[in-house]
Amino acid sequence: MTPPNPALVTAAAWLLFGAFAGYVSATILYLSGFIGTRISQGAKFAKSGAWATNAHAAGVVLHALAILARWQGAGHWPTSNMYEFIGFMAFTSMLAFQVINRMYRMDLLGGLVSPIGVFLLAYSYVFPPKVAPLVPALKSYWLPMHVSTAALAEGFFAVAFGAALMYLLRVRGLELAAEAGGAPAPEVPAATAAWERNWGQRGLEALFYLVLVMVGFMLLALPLRYLGYQWVFNTTTYHLPPVIGPFGAAVGTKGHLFGFIPMPLVAAPWTWRGKNWNTLLYSLLVGWLLYWLVRRYLAKEPLGDWLARKVAGDPETLDEISYRAVAIGYPLFTLGGLIFAMIWAKEAWGRYWFFDPKETWALIAWLVYSAYLHLRITHGWEGRRSAWVAVIGFGVILFTLIGVNLLIVGLHSYAGGDM
Amino acid sequence: MAVSQCPNCGTAAPEGGHFCPDCGRALGAAERPRPTPAAGGGWGEFLDRCWDFFASTRVAVLLIVLIAVASIAGSLIEQENLYQDWRPPYLYYPARYGPFWGNLLMRLGLTHAYSSLWYASLVLLVVTSLIICSLHRLVPLHRMLVRPQVWKLPHFLSRQPITAELAGDLDGLAVQLKKRGFKIWRDRECLYAERGRLSRYGPYIIHIGLLFVAFAAFAKGIPGWDLSRDVWIPDGQTVKVPDTNFAITSHKFTMELYPNGMPSRFVTDAGIVQDGKEVFRQTLEVNHPLPYGGWDIYQASFRQEPGVAHLRVMGADGAPVTRLDVDLRQPETEYALSDQVKMVVTAYYHDFVLDPATKEPTNASFEVKNPVFMVEFVDRATATVLGRSALLVLGNAKPFYQGPLYLEVEKVDPRWYTALKLHKDLTTPYMFFGLGIVFLGMLITFFLFHWQLWVREESGRLLLGAHAHKNKFGLKQEVKRLPGTPIGEGNVS
Repeated sequence: MTPPNPALVTAAAWLLFGAFAGYVSATILYLSGFIGTRISQGAKFAKSGAWATNAHAAGVVLHALAILARWQGAGHWPTSNMYEFIGFMAFTSMLAFQVINRMYRMDLLGGLVSPIGVFLLAYSYVFPPKVAPLVPALKSYWLPMHVSTAALAEGFFAVAFGAALMYLLRVRGLELAAEAGGAPAPEVPAATAAWERNWGQRGLEALFYLVLVMVGFMLLALPLRYLGYQWVFNTTTYHLPPVIGPFGAAVGTKGHLFGFIPMPLVAAPWTWRGKNWNTLLYSLLVGWLLYWLVRRYLAKEPLGDWLARKVAGDPETLDEISYRAVAIGYPLFTLGGLIFAMIWAKEAWGRYWFFDPKETWALIAWLVYSAYLHLRITHGWEGRRSAWVAVIGFGVILFTLIGVNLLIVGLHSYAGGDM
Repeated sequence: MAVSQCPNCGTAAPEGGHFCPDCGRALGAAERPRPTPAAGGGWGEFLDRCWDFFASTRVAVLLIVLIAVASIAGSLIEQENLYQDWRPPYLYYPARYGPFWGNLLMRLGLTHAYSSLWYASLVLLVVTSLIICSLHRLVPLHRMLVRPQVWKLPHFLSRQPITAELAGDLDGLAVQLKKRGFKIWRDRECLYAERGRLSRYGPYIIHIGLLFVAFAAFAKGIPGWDLSRDVWIPDGQTVKVPDTNFAITSHKFTMELYPNGMPSRFVTDAGIVQDGKEVFRQTLEVNHPLPYGGWDIYQASFRQEPGVAHLRVMGADGAPVTRLDVDLRQPETEYALSDQVKMVVTAYYHDFVLDPATKEPTNASFEVKNPVFMVEFVDRATATVLGRSALLVLGNAKPFYQGPLYLEVEKVDPRWYTALKLHKDLTTPYMFFGLGIVFLGMLITFFLFHWQLWVREESGRLLLGAHAHKNKFGLKQEVKRLPGTPIGEGNVS
């Protein structure tokens, strides 16, 4: 079925590509500017930050145009499937960064947050981009209201995540500098217990591993999808070599991977979505490989420490940026993710709350950010520990948006999820 | 002089203050002196301890996290109201998770986590904590806010998170601050200015809203507060809604399709019938419910089944004799074919099957799936049986007959059933009112900032100490912009 205006849909795809280029250039400019300024001791690269912000802003504008073009071209607000939604969230994160950056002007934060936009946009390309008409359940003005507002909130949470991560790195960096024998900087926060430092360090490693798992997934999924590899089973089509087959698949019927691993090696138990678990297995393996390569040949020490030595910035400002982003995102999330969602649920399904997995996870995310806001005023929990909660909060958000669709079934299943 | 710190949040507290300026905790000795409980009555102390327990932010956060964890458990295990299987829970779960785990999960209430006793208890604990925390802080906070201490010693100012030295005099500064929306208090050589005090009440407004939300959630358990009814209505018929005084007519159900065959709309042309008369008629579709008599009526589902069979009565020579229309849900017992002959339905099965045990014909379900007729053709005058015929309406089976006539299917018209769901949920207004308050409270909490400035005239200079309860960065910028301070200078730390 052709969309109402195919030319606009094509235009949207190109505009989106422009936005992607904008975010990539912003990332490169932010990072090169930061590294260049540091190497030249402030003599050069003074303008990189401003250029980066301009490139980033251009990306946001192109992205906004892409969304408008797709809206007009497809005939409905473009948040109706995973491709559109993930792209939309990339847009809101970058928009949120522009808002926060107007307030605080911190270039290095841009270097950390812009990749989130790059990553989300790249991830959206994993899903089929074709325009499909809306099913009756989605035909409501609450689709743009609920999804866009919630996505905007999630964009601010993404910025809060970036700032919290940078805070954790910065604090770790100051700690390392103090350990190395330098005079402890005045902004080194109160000494923490040894176990807390150890777990903080492990936590950072786990976090970078997870990030590399997601990067690894895309490095694997995008080329294979565009090269058109597929393994067809009765009920599903795999785009990655099937090691975990769907339920009921016979072992070894699809040849061998690398000549010796039979495909599938095992069939999924019937309670599992075999295909998604298969993808997860690959992602974990590739993530592990990437992590090992980076650690062994690039960092030559734990990744957290390696990055911590490079990060600069005032921890207190970073903490405040993170808090500020949550303080904007939290009311928006309450409005879009819970209140609008409940009004729409009441209108479409007759009840405002079902404890459908998607709703439940939105509630969990809301609870985590509520805990974050309370922890910040609890003695002994401000600083690092709350920063960790902001990091975990964004993990819960990502799981709500992606994991629930891919691994758990529910009323929101029309949102689709196939990888 | 030692800086006193709030034991709850760690904020530097004003010397000799009774309550923390940040979180409102009562300051002083860590162990508050308590009134000695009356002899023999340990209850006072017990209640005091309970109060202290629930007044702690840590306990509140712990309870919030516990609810989050419990919710995760409930989302990973399929819930009783969401699984897609015909089996009842006691059969489904042992098959799904194995007999041991299935029964254990059911016994622990994890298969209906969100309506289980322990989930409700957790929510009640959070509500308790929320009420006690709020009361514990709101009262001292309010007292502190309405009676600000204006006159401060220089060392109090220098201990504030933002400090500066300004040029000019207090009167000029007061005018400038007033212009920027600050409220001013004066006391001798000191000035106190604040803005956005309402912001401090925001969290408590949120909490009040949450109490309404919790009430609505629990009120669902009050009998009659949360009712739901389902009706299936075939096209053109009227069905009484159980436990109400009205009936609903479905004049026609329509499913509209996109060119690619995907459904685009589900619409019921519905009428409400009260006391035998149609009160009004309106279309009902997904996302557009119809309110009536305290109920909301929703388009929930639909079904199609063979509805009316258009049959031909054929002579044994293959020449058509006549036609007749038979309702497959409720066929007549006999049909007049002509002045001489009538057709008597001797047996009708809407879902024909041979019972495997008795080998007798019977119905396999309540649906019209495999309708089968057995008829006799009877002479109307003499009541003699002229012949018999059996007919499988669906499929292309050859007609069975004996005698001069047999039946043949011309076509079968489908019959649409619309499934309507009726909800009467008296908790809805409380829920949305509560959520409205929560959102309002959030706007007040996060988009207003309580900024406090203390200024003291000291030998021709103005010493300034400022405290931002939120957005310290913004207050710093504001202080930098104050007249008399060269921007970028002053002692802004």
